[in-house]
Amino acid sequence: MALLEVIGLRTEIRLKRSVVHALDGINLSVDAGETLGIVGESGCGKTMTAMSIMQLLPNGGTVVGGQIRLDGRDLLSLSPEEMDSVRGNDIGMIFQDPTTSLNPTMTIGRQISESVRIHRGASKKEAHERAVEALSLVGMPSPKQRALVYPHELSGGMRQRAMIAMALANEPKLLIADEPTTALDVTIQKQILELIDNLKQQLGMAVILVTHDLGVIAGRADKIAVMYAGKVVETTSTRALFANPRHPYTEALFASLPERSAESGERLYSIPGLPPDLTKPPAGCRFAARCRYATDECRTSEPPLAGTVEEHRFACFLPVGEPVYRTEAAPVAATAVATERVRVSRDSTLTEPLLRIEGLVKDYPVTAGLVLRRNVGSVSAVADVSLTVHQGETVGLVGESGCGKTTVGKLIVGLEKPTGGSLLFQDRDLAQAPRAERRHLRRDVQLMFQDSYAAMNPRMMVRSVMREPLDIHRVDSPAERDRRIREIFDLVGLPLSALDRYPHEFSGGQRQRVGLARALALRPKLIVADEPVSALDVSIQSQVLNLMRDLQGELGLSYLFISHDLSVIRYLSDRIGVMYLGKLVEIGPAESVYANPVHHYTRGLLDTIPVADPAVEAAKSSQGIAGELPSAIDPPSGCRFRTRCPAAQEICARVEPKLAPYGPDNHLAACHLPLRPAAAAAQEVAPALV
Amino acid sequence: MTAYLFRRLLQSVVTVFIVTIVSFGLMKLMPGGPVRAILGTHATPANIAHLTQQMGLDRPLYVQYWTWLDGLLHGNLGFDYIVQRPISDLLFNALGASAYIVGASLLLALLIAIPMGMIQATRRNSVLDHAFTVFSFVAYGIPTFFIGFLIQQWFEDDLQWVSVQNQVSTFGAALTHPEAVCLPVLTLTITTVAGYSRYMRSGVLDQITQEYVRTAKAKGASMRRTMYAHVLRNALIPMVTLIGLSLPILVGGSLIVEFVFNIQGIGLLTTRAALQNDYGITLAATLLTAVVTVIGSLVADVSYAVLDPRVRLT
Repeated sequence: MALLEVIGLRTEIRLKRSVVHALDGINLSVDAGETLGIVGESGCGKTMTAMSIMQLLPNGGTVVGGQIRLDGRDLLSLSPEEMDSVRGNDIGMIFQDPTTSLNPTMTIGRQISESVRIHRGASKKEAHERAVEALSLVGMPSPKQRALVYPHELSGGMRQRAMIAMALANEPKLLIADEPTTALDVTIQKQILELIDNLKQQLGMAVILVTHDLGVIAGRADKIAVMYAGKVVETTSTRALFANPRHPYTEALFASLPERSAESGERLYSIPGLPPDLTKPPAGCRFAARCRYATDECRTSEPPLAGTVEEHRFACFLPVGEPVYRTEAAPVAATAVATERVRVSRDSTLTEPLLRIEGLVKDYPVTAGLVLRRNVGSVSAVADVSLTVHQGETVGLVGESGCGKTTVGKLIVGLEKPTGGSLLFQDRDLAQAPRAERRHLRRDVQLMFQDSYAAMNPRMMVRSVMREPLDIHRVDSPAERDRRIREIFDLVGLPLSALDRYPHEFSGGQRQRVGLARALALRPKLIVADEPVSALDVSIQSQVLNLMRDLQGELGLSYLFISHDLSVIRYLSDRIGVMYLGKLVEIGPAESVYANPVHHYTRGLLDTIPVADPAVEAAKSSQGIAGELPSAIDPPSGCRFRTRCPAAQEICARVEPKLAPYGPDNHLAACHLPLRPAAAAAQEVAPALV
Repeated sequence: MTAYLFRRLLQSVVTVFIVTIVSFGLMKLMPGGPVRAILGTHATPANIAHLTQQMGLDRPLYVQYWTWLDGLLHGNLGFDYIVQRPISDLLFNALGASAYIVGASLLLALLIAIPMGMIQATRRNSVLDHAFTVFSFVAYGIPTFFIGFLIQQWFEDDLQWVSVQNQVSTFGAALTHPEAVCLPVLTLTITTVAGYSRYMRSGVLDQITQEYVRTAKAKGASMRRTMYAHVLRNALIPMVTLIGLSLPILVGGSLIVEFVFNIQGIGLLTTRAALQNDYGITLAATLLTAVVTVIGSLVADVSYAVLDPRVRLT
């Protein structure tokens, strides 16, 4: 018998006038020592499943049917007090955002020991000792001291470790991890996922890993349940799912991943339409309305979760893939990875440079003092970055949070003033130009935000949001402005009726279209896109990426694409720049940087990023990037990466490496001990090529 | 923290110093002048000249200011020629009675409003929540003097539970004659609870939707434990500012309650002084309010930092 068995689970959320049928007949099982991955897009019910097991449903939510058996005991039959003794004792849970999930006014140690005191009736002292033990178990450095600090004094990764310590303090049989690394950096993500894996083995727990990230699930789960609109649509072992997906939804999810099309540069597949409204779930297959294979049968009767083999079950009348249980990918798919990049690599370095950044520096002062504030140091956010964006080119900027990539974007659009260096836009200095000209130049450089919703005034109709930049710059006549807005809305594929709606009435993908439309209103030449798709689901992400690429072709736009997600960057960019702690450590053509990285940091980043392919994940060396980003107030001497670099030697601390060419294709990197030898004829690099 | 306190205290001293200059200057701008106020409209020029010289009002302004400030620093607020008593006597007597009433009601109000707000928030939309809400709105909507009259009517005249013989005008008197202060305290408490419980309710409602509350429940903490160990402290943080900012009422007194219950508190004293052009008392009361306001906001900021470890006072 499995440790946890969920049978026919149905959960509803009662709203004022309607009832959301959030979960409808969920069947799951997890054994001890096993990781079950629950994957799906936002709103599919994956978190609701976890919360139903914990019986921590939001207001109005109730489990209306089914069984949740933990060790044979039905959790749904327990009294609230009995359930209290299950939570935190038999089942531990970790949440997405460790910053908001920890009590800000209580020390880490007390928050962990609380759980021990509740369930083991331990004394304060015993509980504290157990908390320190748990902290050392999760790899918290100097756990005794850390137990006494408040959550805000820890880094994000350390907070998540504390969170895990809390969940595991009583050695539960089951750990539920709900998007445990979504709020963390990739390098930290790898460390946390590995920690969960190790602890699972050490403590013999079962783990339910809830995530939207197919890469995370490919590397960590033993078996997977794919959810869609409150139902499990496909469930099998991880390898079988990735090798031979049977449900069209699973297939579509895979097809929208940018890494699957990075080689070919083809348009990404995007799932049309939106998930169904669960207050009135459709009669037949819930995916039918968006499925490219759907027939009338799919729309009228509901397919059961079944399959030709016991190990691989799916709910579809017209399954894709092969009717066998296969855990190896078809040979065709395997070779596809090795094929040449079909996409015509535009050598944009030949066209005119649009934006030239030379020796850009940004320091933020740090002040202290009793009465008079004096500067005691500075945060070196951007340190001597040189970069060129050519006409019609996409330059991707990648790095961990705190590496300075967003600051570079802010400096370019003029939201911050540089401390040093120059920003030349079409050979005019953006910072030095006279006021009137600067204003005019600003039109040509626009910003696209990560969270378009937060970036729009919620009390303004989209029409006014769109009009604002045009009004500020007094572009043409008012009638002409309206005409232009309609034209742009057409271009980004939004209906004109959307103009008279408020930002909250849009879905995530539509909002991002509005964000792009707003950026396009002034007909800019360059768009700085700061993490434009990182808040979106993969199927929506692919729509926005396709749109951005189409518009580039049509309007001859240039993009500076800032993201922490290497696969998205790789898909869209012609060239990739890698930043670390304010420095540009490597830059070159996308494929060259991806396939033949020179800098150890780039190599490490590539290793840490989870790939949606279990075979690749298994073959990966366990090396990632150790440790955490050092403080930018007093950055390491010489090479800033040396404190985390596996190859660092004494020279790295003494001499700061300069960007040098590797290969003929303007692939530059700043490393004393590069992963491959420098170009034979190491000449001076012309600034224009940087 | 020490550095912060040092800087804030220094700032406070500067603020109070500026207040002395401004309020002193404003008094000088008032029409009539103190001598006329004391001697009345029928005074002879000789009398006026004599008193002006006696009070030192013929000297240059900066000398007058300096003399006043010097006296102030030595605890001498000056002499009130209208009532013919030292100003400090008048002020501190009245202050005692007011501070007792306002302080006691503030304390009571907190003791009632905090649990009341918590109960309302945890049982949102229950009958109890609605009942408390109705109470709050009604108590907040009725003018204080009317509540005062109602209470007086009810407890003194109809039920005859309380009979007030003595008029309370000092702190000591307030302590020894609880029957004289209980009704004004009750009146003020009702209005204060009405406001504070609303703040507490929304504060708790803000907190219980936070994710750390879900974490606490996921640990197996009971509802009770979650509320007291996690939510309460976080919900109290915004209350602290409110309490700090209401400290000045302690010395400003509640004119209306003092009027209704005939308590010789600071509210009545300053009102009378203002109406009679009694410069000395008006000036002293203004200054006192300024000092307490500054202290109140300092206390609020410091307790903020004590309650919330994220706030670092630097």
